[in-house]
Amino acid sequence: MSAAGTDGCGAPAGGAAVTAASDPGTQAVVQGHVTQNGPPLSAGYARLLNASGDFVAEVPLGADGGFRFFAAPGTWTLVVLAPGGVRAQHTVQAETGQVTDVEVAV
Amino acid sequence: MSRSEVLVDADWVKSHGSDPGVVLVEVDEDTSAYDLGHIAGAVKIDWKQDLQDPVRRDFVDRAGFEALLSARGIASDDTVVLYGGNNNWFAAYAYWYFKLYGHRNVKLLDGGRKKWELESRELVTEVPRRERTNYTAQEQDSSIRAFRDEVIAAIGTKNLVDVRSPDEFAGRLLAPAHLPQEQAQRGGHIPSARNVPWSKAAQEDGTFRSDDALRSLYGDEAGLDFGRDTIAYCRIGERSAHTWFVLHELLDQPNVKNYDGSWTEYGSLVGVPISIGDAA
Repeated sequence: MSAAGTDGCGAPAGGAAVTAASDPGTQAVVQGHVTQNGPPLSAGYARLLNASGDFVAEVPLGADGGFRFFAAPGTWTLVVLAPGGVRAQHTVQAETGQVTDVEVAV
Repeated sequence: MSRSEVLVDADWVKSHGSDPGVVLVEVDEDTSAYDLGHIAGAVKIDWKQDLQDPVRRDFVDRAGFEALLSARGIASDDTVVLYGGNNNWFAAYAYWYFKLYGHRNVKLLDGGRKKWELESRELVTEVPRRERTNYTAQEQDSSIRAFRDEVIAAIGTKNLVDVRSPDEFAGRLLAPAHLPQEQAQRGGHIPSARNVPWSKAAQEDGTFRSDDALRSLYGDEAGLDFGRDTIAYCRIGERSAHTWFVLHELLDQPNVKNYDGSWTEYGSLVGVPISIGDAA
């Protein structure tokens, strides 16, 4: 595992961890898990779009179907892509100091 | 360059990926993706470990690049097909980097790893064994790499394209939203820069939009003057390598440079002008 998060711009599978250095007290975290007919979906991607529908970030889902974004306060759209043409979309609200959990079933 | 010379699709890789003289290379920042599964025959390059100098902030030098490619079994006249995660950011960066050191035949797999995965195509864990080569690189091509003084001099005179997200451009975020917002440098953008997020050049599956759509995006919508020289930047230079690829390789713009120092350098310089707020 490289130091994804601070050196480059890479998106680690499942999203970067919330650490002491990125205390949710200063962050607007949007995170969650994706399941497909029950079990976690790990072969897929989570994309975050802003209120205008423009792309902001994308991470490959983690082994547990997890994803995490460090957003800004406001309304965001979460899009999940998976093999087989699967596409799911959710609207989420992010707030500074809050961890917003989104559970997605596709 | 035309699109057909610099992009290949998955079917091409399936048919020609193991041809003599063709080398598939996966490029990532976090190479654990390669270790879990990659396109058959592909070797890996680690964006940080392999391409960055371990001490100072710069690339490995010419001899270092020659040593890397020799060890990977890549010859100077091989056709190198790059792909990777993050919508090919690091693959596009490697493409630019290979061009910087004068490699002639380089292509990108359109859509990168994501499209390949979403189409449920085969990934393997077997690491190929390639014969060592004696790779010869050229001196860096300074016509495609911009440094800070040139960027400052370009304010108001050349096209400056900030390819980060609108929130980073405005100064509300200091890094892409999949990363913690903990960088110390100032937020904002270089004065006179236009904000054309790299992602507008790509479709949801990671492939590049059509040439007409791209020309319209940078010309009509963003107001870039195609008659002027252009410098693209982002935070550390890989998203802007993606845009450099679009402008220089797909749209054939002659004078386009990637500023790899990008915002992590510019936003930490003392005394340089910074603009904040959304694009006009």
